Amino acid sequence: MNLIDVYIQEVTRRLPEKNRADIGLELRSTIEDTLPDDYDEEDVNTVLQELGNPAALASEYRDQPMHLIGPRYFDIYVSLLKMIVPIAAVVALISMIAKYFGAFGEEEAILNAVLHIIGEGIWVVIQVGIQVFFWLTLVFAILERTDKGKYGEPLATNFKKWTPNDLKNVAYISGENSITKLRVFGSLMWTTVWATLYFYANQLIGVYEGSEVGLEFVMPALTQGVLMSYWPLVLVVILLEVSSSIYKLIIGKWTTKIAIFNTVIELISTSLFIVILSNPNLFQPEFLSYMSDLFNISSSQFKFWLVGGAIIILVLSATISIFDGFRRALNR
Amino acid sequence: MDDLKNSLATELRRGTLTLAVLSQLGTPQYGYSLVQLLEKSGIDIDQSTLYPLLRRLEKRELVTSSWDKSENRPRKYYVLSEYGHEIYLQLKEEWIENSKVLYKLLEGGGKNESD
Repeated sequence: MNLIDVYIQEVTRRLPEKNRADIGLELRSTIEDTLPDDYDEEDVNTVLQELGNPAALASEYRDQPMHLIGPRYFDIYVSLLKMIVPIAAVVALISMIAKYFGAFGEEEAILNAVLHIIGEGIWVVIQVGIQVFFWLTLVFAILERTDKGKYGEPLATNFKKWTPNDLKNVAYISGENSITKLRVFGSLMWTTVWATLYFYANQLIGVYEGSEVGLEFVMPALTQGVLMSYWPLVLVVILLEVSSSIYKLIIGKWTTKIAIFNTVIELISTSLFIVILSNPNLFQPEFLSYMSDLFNISSSQFKFWLVGGAIIILVLSATISIFDGFRRALNR
Repeated sequence: MDDLKNSLATELRRGTLTLAVLSQLGTPQYGYSLVQLLEKSGIDIDQSTLYPLLRRLEKRELVTSSWDKSENRPRKYYVLSEYGHEIYLQLKEEWIENSKVLYKLLEGGGKNESD
């Protein structure tokens, strides 16, 4: 009798609270059914032996998966992990370096500074990696448990059932119009880099001088206040670029629609940067005079060449990107 | 060698268990009576597989259950629901079709071997 009680307890304690009583009662009644009328401990042993390990029996009763992330989500999980970890690590690294220059201790020796950055950099990358890994795993573990499509097949990267079209995402057959994951990753990385530079401009962009304490950030080139007055628009451009990257990842190839979307983004971002660049208060006056001294030209001349050059590069790269998009879209 | 054979055999059997259980639930049965019925027909089923299977069938609304607590030993009875009956008929049809095909295939295979 005692053994049966313990056995039932061993099974039910592994089950959700609401099912315990019912399953326990049913188990007891079936066990007693199986036993002969006049049973001894040996009979009980035989019956329990047949029912097997309580843990195994309990796992048969449980509906929830015994794995964290199953075959349905594993593939998509791994590819997202591979994409997000490096991007998050780069963001963390850049902002760490920016903060470091911002609070630059003057008496630090060059070796110390380098060691400090390397040491902290490794630490930051590990931390971010762990964070991303944890949260992404948590999200997918929850997805695995809440997904109602229980009899589902594994999903492709676009969260849909696999179709032969997904083969077009595979790098091996990438023709002119395919968008590889590497490309999407590259453009996400680029967005990350320039966005970080934008938000930390007064600590990263400027004049660096070699001194006995190593590379020293002497003066910022841009006025952060002026830059920040555009932040809502910049945020819109960032969001547009990120959503376009994700959209490209899902569709997997250049289409006319994507090329048009790409054109719109390029036009918006290029005009935004031209507006920012032509703001008369954008550059720090000390920076302008420093640079014009360096090149032996007047301060306004230097500014003209700098802004002009930057605009030409911006417009050129935007034009190339727009045409490249259409060329790839129409080239099927 | 034997292990492999056993695991393949278990795999073959697993699919048929649901059908076997459904076929016996036209009349209400409780766990142990179902075991006896199946054993009498020569179907060897682990009790640790059968009871959870019954619960899953209930959860998917193929069977309904009711407790009979009038006797000194309470028993949980399972019986096919209308939906379960429909599904059972379809599965049965499919199984019979499949086994015919497979039988032909296996017979044919035997001929090829002897050739």
